[in-house]
Amino acid sequence: MSSNRYFKHQGPWSDAADPLMCTDTGDWRTKRPVVDKEKCIFCGFCAIYCPIGVMVMQGDTHFEADLDFCKGCGICAKECPKGAIIMISEGEFVS
Amino acid sequence: MNTTTAPKRIKVITGNAAAAIAAKLARPDVVAAYPITPQTEVIEQISTFHASGEMDCELITVEGENSAMNAVMAASLAGGRVFTASSSWGLVFMYDAVLAVAGARAPVVMVNVNRETPGIIAVSSGQQDMISTRDAGWIFLIAEDCQEVLDLVLQAYRLAEDYDIQLPVMVHYDGFFLSYLSEGVDIPEQETVDRFLSVLKDQPKRTVLTPGRKLGVGSHGILGGYMELRHKHVTAMERSKAKFEEIDREFDGIFGRTYGGQVEEYRTDDADMVLVGSGSMCGTIKSVIDDQREKGVRIGLVKIRMYRPFPHQALVAALKGKKAIGVVDRSLAFGFDGGPIYTELKAFETRLDGAQLISFIDGIANTDITKTNVEKMIRMTGDLADGKDVPEVTWVSYPDANTKGEK
Amino acid sequence: MAEKKKGRLTKVLDYLKHDDPFSKGVAFCPGCGLELLLRFIPRVLGNDIVITGTPSCSAPVLLGQNNQSWHTLSYFGTLMTGAAANATGLVRYYRKAGIDNTVVCFNGDGTANDIGFGNLSGAAERNEPFIYICYDNEGYMNTGIQKSGTTPFGATTTTTPYGTVSRGKNLRRMNLGLKMAMNKIPYTATATLSDLDDLARKLLKAKEAKERGFCFLHVFAPCPTGWGADPADTIEICRQAVKTNYFPLWEAENGRIRMTKTVKKPKPVNTYTKLMKKFNHMTEADHVILQDDVDYEYCLLGGLSVLEAECQLPVSVKDQGETS
Ligand SMILES: Cc1ncc(C[n+]2csc(CCOP(=O)(O)OP(=O)(O)O)c2C)c(N)n1
Ligand code: SF4
Ligand code: SF4
Ligand code: SF4
Repeated sequence: MSSNRYFKHQGPWSDAADPLMCTDTGDWRTKRPVVDKEKCIFCGFCAIYCPIGVMVMQGDTHFEADLDFCKGCGICAKECPKGAIIMISEGEFVS
Repeated sequence: MNTTTAPKRIKVITGNAAAAIAAKLARPDVVAAYPITPQTEVIEQISTFHASGEMDCELITVEGENSAMNAVMAASLAGGRVFTASSSWGLVFMYDAVLAVAGARAPVVMVNVNRETPGIIAVSSGQQDMISTRDAGWIFLIAEDCQEVLDLVLQAYRLAEDYDIQLPVMVHYDGFFLSYLSEGVDIPEQETVDRFLSVLKDQPKRTVLTPGRKLGVGSHGILGGYMELRHKHVTAMERSKAKFEEIDREFDGIFGRTYGGQVEEYRTDDADMVLVGSGSMCGTIKSVIDDQREKGVRIGLVKIRMYRPFPHQALVAALKGKKAIGVVDRSLAFGFDGGPIYTELKAFETRLDGAQLISFIDGIANTDITKTNVEKMIRMTGDLADGKDVPEVTWVSYPDANTKGEK
Repeated sequence: MAEKKKGRLTKVLDYLKHDDPFSKGVAFCPGCGLELLLRFIPRVLGNDIVITGTPSCSAPVLLGQNNQSWHTLSYFGTLMTGAAANATGLVRYYRKAGIDNTVVCFNGDGTANDIGFGNLSGAAERNEPFIYICYDNEGYMNTGIQKSGTTPFGATTTTTPYGTVSRGKNLRRMNLGLKMAMNKIPYTATATLSDLDDLARKLLKAKEAKERGFCFLHVFAPCPTGWGADPADTIEICRQAVKTNYFPLWEAENGRIRMTKTVKKPKPVNTYTKLMKKFNHMTEADHVILQDDVDYEYCLLGGLSVLEAECQLPVSVKDQGETS
C-alpha cells in the first residue's frame, strides 16, 4: 500500500474537517479603508458589498474592516452612502 | 472454459443483450448512455427493461457520450452503482471524463464494444478504440464470447467496487462479431447474482460525496500529493491482478464457470508454439488449434482477458520456455514494428527463456480472422520455431503491406 | 456626544441567514465580482448545498489542494466540458437514494455559454432538478482574458485585441439567459451584484423551483482585472449595466418572462462602457452598434414577455407547476 502523506483517502478527496487553507490577503493592500464612526449611519451597505465580507459590525454603532484580510479594493468606500469611509494609503500607517 | 453441472437457463442472445442483461442483474442505481453502432442495442435493451419496470434505476438519456461519462462519474462519487456503454467515437468523445473517472478513483463499470476509430463511414471491427485509451487508468477486461460478456460485467462490479481496488472497469468485446452474434448464454438467477455481489456490502464504505458533509472531490493533488495519488493508482492497479483471479475462483464456486483470471491458457502445457490473442478471435483460434493438434502440431493459445493492468507476470509464466510466439493484434501501434500488444510483450522478451516473437495484424476493417488466416499464423510461427527467416510483422489479410520495402 | 443619525440596516442582511463557509483569505483579485457572488450563494441557500466547479477563476478557491480545502461545502471539482452532466449524475443518484439535496452547478460563461453548452442544454431538456449558476465575466479570465461567446461587441480581450485591422470583438454577445428561458424550464433569471436583494430572492426562488426541475441563473459579475476597471467600481459597473439596459434584470417561470426591475429612463450605454478600459478605443460609431444591440435585445425581451402572457402555456409546461 502507498503512503497517506497528503491524502487520507484513496482518491482526490479534500477534507474541510481539517483547518481551512488561508492566504494573508491583507498583505496585498495598498490602501486601507478607514471608517468615520461619527458619519456612519449603520446601514450595512459596506458589509454586503465587500466581496470578502470583512466589514464587521461593531456592536450596533458602526462597521470596521478586518485588516488581516481586507484587500483594499475600495468598494466599501465607494458604496457608502454617507462617505463615511475613506481609503488611505498604507504608507501613511508605516511608523 | 470449464463448466460444472449447475442449473442452466440457456437463452440464445447477442453479446449486446448479454451486456444489457448483466447490467440489469447488477442492479445499478444510475445508467447514462448514448447510442452508437455497434453498441446501440445495449442501451435499447436497458431502456426497455427500464420502461417495463424490470430495471429500477435512474436512466439518463444524455445528449452525448461526454455527458454519459460525466453523469455516471458524479453518480458513482456520490455513492451509486453505475453503468454506461459506448464504442469507438463515443469512447473518444468521453475521453476527458474517462481520465477524470480514473483520477477520481470512481468505480464506474462500462462496456465498450470495440470498433475502429479513424474512418467515420468505415464502421468496422477492431480494437483501436481500446488501444487509444489503454493508459487512461482503467482496468480493461476483454471477453471472448457472449457468455463471457455477461460474466465479465458481473465480475467487473466486484473488481471496481472492491474497497482495496476502487477503480473503474471497462469490459471490451468485439463489435460486429460479438455485438450482433447470437449464441447460447446461461443467464443466472437474480438471487445468485445478488449473492455474488453481496460481498461488496460487507466491506468498509468508500468515501462518497454527501450533501452537508465537509468533503470535496476532484481537485486532485499538486506536487507530492499528485504523485501520491498516481502512485496509489498504480499500486491499486497492480493489486487488481490477484483480486481478479480471486474473483474468478469465487465466480466458479457460485456460477460453475471459470476462465483462469488474467489470462486463459488453452492447450499450452506441452506446446512449443503459442498464439497470443484476445477477444472473439480466440474462439476461431481454439478450433484451429484442435484441428492442428490432431495433426500433431504442438500449438496452444494464451488469451488475454485482463489487458490493463498489463498482466505481464501471468503472460511470462504462460509463455516462458516456448519456442515461438505469434501475437495477434487487432489494432496498430505507430512507430513500432508490430501491433500494440506485441510491442508490449516484447518488453518482457528477456524473461521468456529464449522464446521468439512475431506480430500479426488482422481483424481490422471488418476483416474476419478466419480459420485459414489462423492456419497461416500457426504455419509462420512454426517456421519461426524451426529457425526459418520469418518477417517480424505480417498483415494477414492485406498482403500488400508485406511486400519488401513498404514495411 | 451628539446623538448620531441612525439609518436602517439594509434588508439584504436578512437574507444572509447562514455562515460564510469560505476561508477569509482566498486568492481572488481585489474587487472581484465572482468572490462576492460565491460567498453570497451559501449564505443565502445554506451550507448544505453541493457545489460543482470547473477550471476557471473560481476553481482555485472552490477546489481543494491535496487534502486541504478553502471552504466547508461539499464540492465536486470537474471538467469544463461536462459540468451540467456531473450535476445531473449527482441529483439522479440522490433521488434514487432518497437523499435531500440542493446541487449548485457553478460555472463561468466560458463553460456555460461555450464549451459546456451542450450538456447545459441537455440538462435543460431533461429538466434535471438542480440549480445552474453562470457567473458572467464576459470572457475566459483564468487563462488570461480571452474572448467568450458573451464578450460584448467592441470589447478587447487577449484574443480580440485592438489593432490596425481590428477594433476589439467584432461579433455580438450571445444572450445566454434568454436562450435558457426559451427551454421553458421551471425557473430562469438574470441577476447582478448591485441588486443583492433581487439576487437573494432569485436564489431562494430557484431553490424552491428546483423541486420541479432545472433552474438557471445568469449572474453578471464584473472582473476588474480583465476589464481594466477600478476594483472599487465593481458594484457601480453592475448598477450601470442595469440602468443602461445592458444587463436587464428579469425572471421567467416556465419561460414566462417578467421584468424584476424596470428602468424608467435608460441611460446611454456609454455611461456603462466608460467605467472600464476594455471599451476605451471605441468610436462613436462603435457605440452606436453596441447601443443598437442593447436596444434590440431589450426590445425583444419586452416583446417576448408580452407575447408569453398572450399565449396559452402548453399543458406539458403547466404541469411543471409554479412557485408559490
Ligand atoms: C477542456 C478545457 N479546455 C481548456 C481549458 C483551459 N481553461 C481553463 S480555465 C478556462 C477559461 C474558463 O472561462 P470561464 O468559464 O468563463 O471562467 P473564468 O475563468 O472567466 O472565471 C480555460 C479555457 C480547460 N481547463 N479545459
Ligand atoms: S456603508 Fe457607510 S454608513 Fe453604511 S454602515 Fe458602512 S460605513 Fe456606515
Ligand atoms: S476595501 Fe474592499 S476588501 Fe476592504 S473592506 Fe472595503 S470592500 Fe472589503
Ligand atoms: S481575473 Fe477577474 S474574475 Fe478572475 S479572480 Fe481576478 S477579478 Fe475575479
